[in-house]
Amino acid sequence: MDLTGILLGGAAAGMVLFVVSVGLSVTMGLMGFVNLAHGAFAMLGGYAIVLSMKHWGLPFPAALALGFAAVAALAVVLERTLYARLYRASELDQVLFTIGLVFVTIALVTLTVGPETQTVLLPEWLRGQTDLGFLRYRSYSLAIIAFGVALMLALWLGFERTQLGARIRAAVDNRRMAASLGVDVGRLFTATFAVGSGLAAMGAGLGAEILGLDPQYPLRYLAYFLIVVAVGGLGRVHGVFFAAILIGVLDFVLKFHFPKGGTMFIYALTLALLLARPQGLFGRKAA
Amino acid sequence: MSAMLPAAQALARRHRLQWWEALPWVAALLAFYLFPNHLAFGTQLLITILFALSLDLVLGYAGIVTLGHAAFFGAGAYTVGMLAQHAGWNEPLTGLAAAALVAGAIGLASGFVLLRTHGLTLLMLTLCTMVLLEESANMGHRYTGGFDGMPGLLFKPLLGAFSFDPLYFRTQYLYVLVVLLLCFVLVRALVYSPFGQSLTGIRENLLRMHAVGAPVRVRLVVVYAASAAIAGVAGGLFTHATQYVNLATLGLERSAGVLIMLILGGYGRLYGAFVGASAYMVLEHFLAKAYPTAWQLGVGVLLVLVALFASNGILGIADSLRRRFAERAAARP
Amino acid sequence: MTPPLLETRGLCKSFGALEVAREINFRLEPGARHALIGPNGAGKTTLVNLLTGLHAPSRGAVLLGGEDVTSLPQAKRVKRGVARTFQINQLFRGLTVLENLCIAVAERLGAGGSMLRPAGRRADVIAEASRLIETLRLEEDAGRRVGELPYGRQRLVEIAIALGLAPRVLLLDEPAAGIPSAESHILLDAIAALPAHIAVLIIEHDMDLVFRFAQRITVMVSGAIFAEGSPAEIAGNREVRAVYLGSALDA
Repeated sequence: MDLTGILLGGAAAGMVLFVVSVGLSVTMGLMGFVNLAHGAFAMLGGYAIVLSMKHWGLPFPAALALGFAAVAALAVVLERTLYARLYRASELDQVLFTIGLVFVTIALVTLTVGPETQTVLLPEWLRGQTDLGFLRYRSYSLAIIAFGVALMLALWLGFERTQLGARIRAAVDNRRMAASLGVDVGRLFTATFAVGSGLAAMGAGLGAEILGLDPQYPLRYLAYFLIVVAVGGLGRVHGVFFAAILIGVLDFVLKFHFPKGGTMFIYALTLALLLARPQGLFGRKAA
Repeated sequence: MSAMLPAAQALARRHRLQWWEALPWVAALLAFYLFPNHLAFGTQLLITILFALSLDLVLGYAGIVTLGHAAFFGAGAYTVGMLAQHAGWNEPLTGLAAAALVAGAIGLASGFVLLRTHGLTLLMLTLCTMVLLEESANMGHRYTGGFDGMPGLLFKPLLGAFSFDPLYFRTQYLYVLVVLLLCFVLVRALVYSPFGQSLTGIRENLLRMHAVGAPVRVRLVVVYAASAAIAGVAGGLFTHATQYVNLATLGLERSAGVLIMLILGGYGRLYGAFVGASAYMVLEHFLAKAYPTAWQLGVGVLLVLVALFASNGILGIADSLRRRFAERAAARP
Repeated sequence: MTPPLLETRGLCKSFGALEVAREINFRLEPGARHALIGPNGAGKTTLVNLLTGLHAPSRGAVLLGGEDVTSLPQAKRVKRGVARTFQINQLFRGLTVLENLCIAVAERLGAGGSMLRPAGRRADVIAEASRLIETLRLEEDAGRRVGELPYGRQRLVEIAIALGLAPRVLLLDEPAAGIPSAESHILLDAIAALPAHIAVLIIEHDMDLVFRFAQRITVMVSGAIFAEGSPAEIAGNREVRAVYLGSALDA
């Protein structure tokens, strides 16, 4: 595979990481809550998308919308009933709770659907290759890249130009001050949590062919989601974007050339980076 | 000069041995005689208790949340394995000492570097360190056996006289029990010392510890290294007992597993490791093989409940019950 | 001429665009009984945070006994004799009162890192902690968890910890806040009993306490020192009355 092919393949993988992880970054930046179960929400959405296409014959875009809505609704319920109780709890309790949720989700999916990897039947218009003039590449990967960029722009505009976005940014930077300025941080968080989880669901569905979809998904990719979020900087959409692309491309390149130990480099890089800049590439240093 | 406050007298006596502290050891010896066909499992249980005890030092006392403690367990396991396989060094006790040294050194180095951070960043970095070690072990398959590990290791008899018994595990069980006892004595002394108290202070209120002049980072790095050394001993024992070492000694599953066991038993309470590991492993032994998915579901639900309602574990629940009874007894006229 | 015990030169601190300390030149002599007053948000606690090393200044220097300690972290300054109480109690809530004090005393005596002998065998630490408990009349609470105590008693524990560090400079941030008036004499007695050579700085809103205790008063407004002088001078200063004291005394 030539360089462009590798870069595009890595970029596609990176975009999937971005779509899944951006919600995690914003909610962690907003509430300081260590949500290791984010991958579980993604997986549930992925399953909803793939299975609705397989069993109900839903077209791909409709299935994506369904996945988003279903997981967002579930996220709201779980956040109000369970997560909200642990906002003041110790980091350890948050880690335990979310790991527990991951186990429950994995077990439930294994019991109801089965342990096999799900196959995705891509719609006609995504199969095959697209000719962009200067290169020909898999339509599917190009579509993912386009979606990722579009999402990034939409989020960036949303955060920079709307009132809601401004409130979220303020609350990420200083929760207490935002609250004292009248921002309803609780409701803000529920909304952000729902949208972030919904996006993760879409990401898992979109990327089902690249990252795969099986019950072990939340644990297998946990480290990657956390790395992308930590390296990008909590609550920084553009940070997650660049970190995801970086990790995606690196991982792709390394797996291609060093199938045995490639991932080591990513962990070593993360280690070095977080030691030099604990707040991530784009994060704000604590006062 | 007034008489000593009752609280002061209690504090001065706190480290004295209580009668019930003999129970775990009595139980372990009884098990040796009562369950001669289950000593392989028993040996694993004792090894896990030692590993959980090492985690309690950093998590329960110093308050360092780590998902990467298996790095030290694996380091110790592989040290013993590689020394036996490649250097012909298969004397158990010195091998164990080497395991402690190597794991402790890794703990010292990584602690020195990592403990500048805290919270999510620290959690991530402990994870990264462990995965790095895991990948190195995978890559260096010429030395480590890679994915398949190093099976069939042979060790010299203990003290020249007691050879490891691959069938009934009698020697292994008692060997591990003695090492566990020695390590426990050390940990207990550490916990009751002023150093141990300062760790509790660091966990309870970091700002206050700085404000009383404690060299916080030095203390944390020291306890991290000590804990790593003990985890390394547990890993070395694992290799001695099973005569085998592989990548599973370094994985997230082992790290998460020991964390769960410690929380279930009750962290920061010295005996939480005993209670948690025993309860978890016994249940796992009977349930997990038969119904693995249901077991995972059960553990998940249990973790959610523990995080929400009982984060101090079984011993914590026992403690609050005892206190409630004591209050009720005192309230009666 | 002996240098002041604690001194700042041109001390400045900003959080982003917010300036919380502006060109502070402050001196604390040995044996001082000094009060720091001013409206809320004036930067009094910030100054104490800068003096103790909790915050690093944007510009300027902090000197302790003539030695530049600006780059020293909190713990090292404590070892050099600076102790403080916090505006909001910073205690080990899960531990008993006695244990709280033992930790502080052990650090001061250099025993905090000792690993092999049990803490219970350190009779010197326990004796000293017990003595502090008696000084602050906390005997009946000695064995109770700090988290279970009423706020006022927790405040006394906070002060006891600072005393247990045997400092040369003692910085008390609103020590009387939260202590019921029936028990406030305990605090006053403890402060009065402090060795004469220690410098004591109190941040307070209780003007009664301030004028009884202080030999020197500094007034801070909007991050800068507004006025400084003896109690009589400050009470008579018309501008100070206008900005702060007037409202405080009339209340």
